[in-house]
Amino acid sequence: MNLANELFDFSGKVIIITGAAGAIGSEAARQFAMFGANVALTDINEEKVKAVAARIQQETGSECLGIKADATDEDDLKHLVETVVAKFGKISGLINNVGWGKATPLWGSDTAKMVASYELNTISAYNMTRLCMPYLRKEPNASVVFSGSMVGTTPSPEFIEYSTAKAGLINMAHSMAVASGPEVRFNVVVIGSVDNGDATLEAGYDPAMLKRISDLIVMKRRGTPSDIAHAFIFLMSEAASWITGINLMVDGGGIYKSKMPQ
Amino acid sequence: MMDRLCTIFDLSGKVAVVTGGGDGIGRGCCEILAIAGASVVVSDIDLGKAEAVVDSIKAKGGNAVAVKCNVLEENDLVNLIGTAVKTYGTVNVLVNNAGLGGGGRENPFKITMDYVERIYRINVFAPWRLCQLAVPEMGKSGYGSIINITSMSSIDKERNMGIYSSSKAALNHLAANLAYDFGAFGVRINNVGPGATKTSALASILTPELQERMLRKTPINRLGEVSDIAQAVLFFASPASSWISGQVIFVNGGGDQTLD
Repeated sequence: MNLANELFDFSGKVIIITGAAGAIGSEAARQFAMFGANVALTDINEEKVKAVAARIQQETGSECLGIKADATDEDDLKHLVETVVAKFGKISGLINNVGWGKATPLWGSDTAKMVASYELNTISAYNMTRLCMPYLRKEPNASVVFSGSMVGTTPSPEFIEYSTAKAGLINMAHSMAVASGPEVRFNVVVIGSVDNGDATLEAGYDPAMLKRISDLIVMKRRGTPSDIAHAFIFLMSEAASWITGINLMVDGGGIYKSKMPQ
Repeated sequence: MMDRLCTIFDLSGKVAVVTGGGDGIGRGCCEILAIAGASVVVSDIDLGKAEAVVDSIKAKGGNAVAVKCNVLEENDLVNLIGTAVKTYGTVNVLVNNAGLGGGGRENPFKITMDYVERIYRINVFAPWRLCQLAVPEMGKSGYGSIINITSMSSIDKERNMGIYSSSKAALNHLAANLAYDFGAFGVRINNVGPGATKTSALASILTPELQERMLRKTPINRLGEVSDIAQAVLFFASPASSWISGQVIFVNGGGDQTLD
């Protein structure tokens, strides 16, 4: 084994991933398992998350556990953390990946919708991290990575519920980082337009819009779940052990529109 | 599992060029890129230092060649990329690491225009020129990634640092813009911004009191190691970051190790 492999070896680590039945969460789980980690996958969709966990365990040989949890239900999260610790004895890393939002007219939201988005996209990550902290503190190079979104760093009136919740999430991650070194590292992967399968279409896009987005991206393609999983792996690994409090934009170089329109 | 590791962080068959590779962060970059399988063109203004790095890489079974390069000299820049192409056939990875700053001694009333021009030529103009020479080769080869070593100074505000800091800020924005130009070639460009890292350059200004002040502001309560920076460079050099371009990441223990 050479140094490059040691840096990215997750043997003996236990990683929790929320929203793990979805495209990005399940691919991240698969890659961590391939790098040797035991992975606890959690999602509100019990049937799917258990099937994904079983498939990854069979493919990689790493031990994987699929657990149902509603990320907005604090009791579910407590049960999740207890189950993981009972099974694996520790928590080395957490990917706060769960989240979702859809296009809403800027003036078409209300208190209930705004709060619901904040509960799912922001508060869930706060509660999950708080519950994991006592265990993370005991582990070397422990780290938490958040799935941020490009809409949380730029004006995004089309996604007012989701974008403001993601902006809050990013600020929260940075606050956790400055207060928690050297014990636990906190970083954000700011995700651009990724092919999430059905979830993208449910958010309000149609195939013609997605083609136009691809054409505007510097790397001329939308992201894959694998592109995002690679960033999770890097930030969680030994290679990033002096990195905390950063936003890593994974967005294909961004969307470019000429300042000299034709 | 190891097959997978070797895929996304593997640079076998790739050619990397590093400036200022004889010492410190540059040397660390050369070594980790070689470990990941790249053939490394180690360049430095001091050929002897570059040769020592090449010897160390070869002793561990890697491929490397030493080139003298003063980044202030146009002929040296052309020769550097030319040597990479002649020796290994192409350039896939370029690490613009060579840089110079005044270590907090840039009193704006005492420095000269010659000094300011020299800093900008080393920190901004040479990286641009090497990109101009290397990107067509990267485009032909089908794999290209450029990493500029910037600095926390690029976003910090301090006394007597205006020239170095602004040159590094220029380097950040140069990369952010060039990402759009180079995307068409399939070439990525990103910057890595080290915090205070244990190199001979830092040792020349570090006092125990300064170190203590720096660590008070650093969540991960230690100064950076060369390997911390080199590992971020490896990430950007490797296929693991193939959908990332135009970015700066700061490797700084979460903190801000300013000089005052």
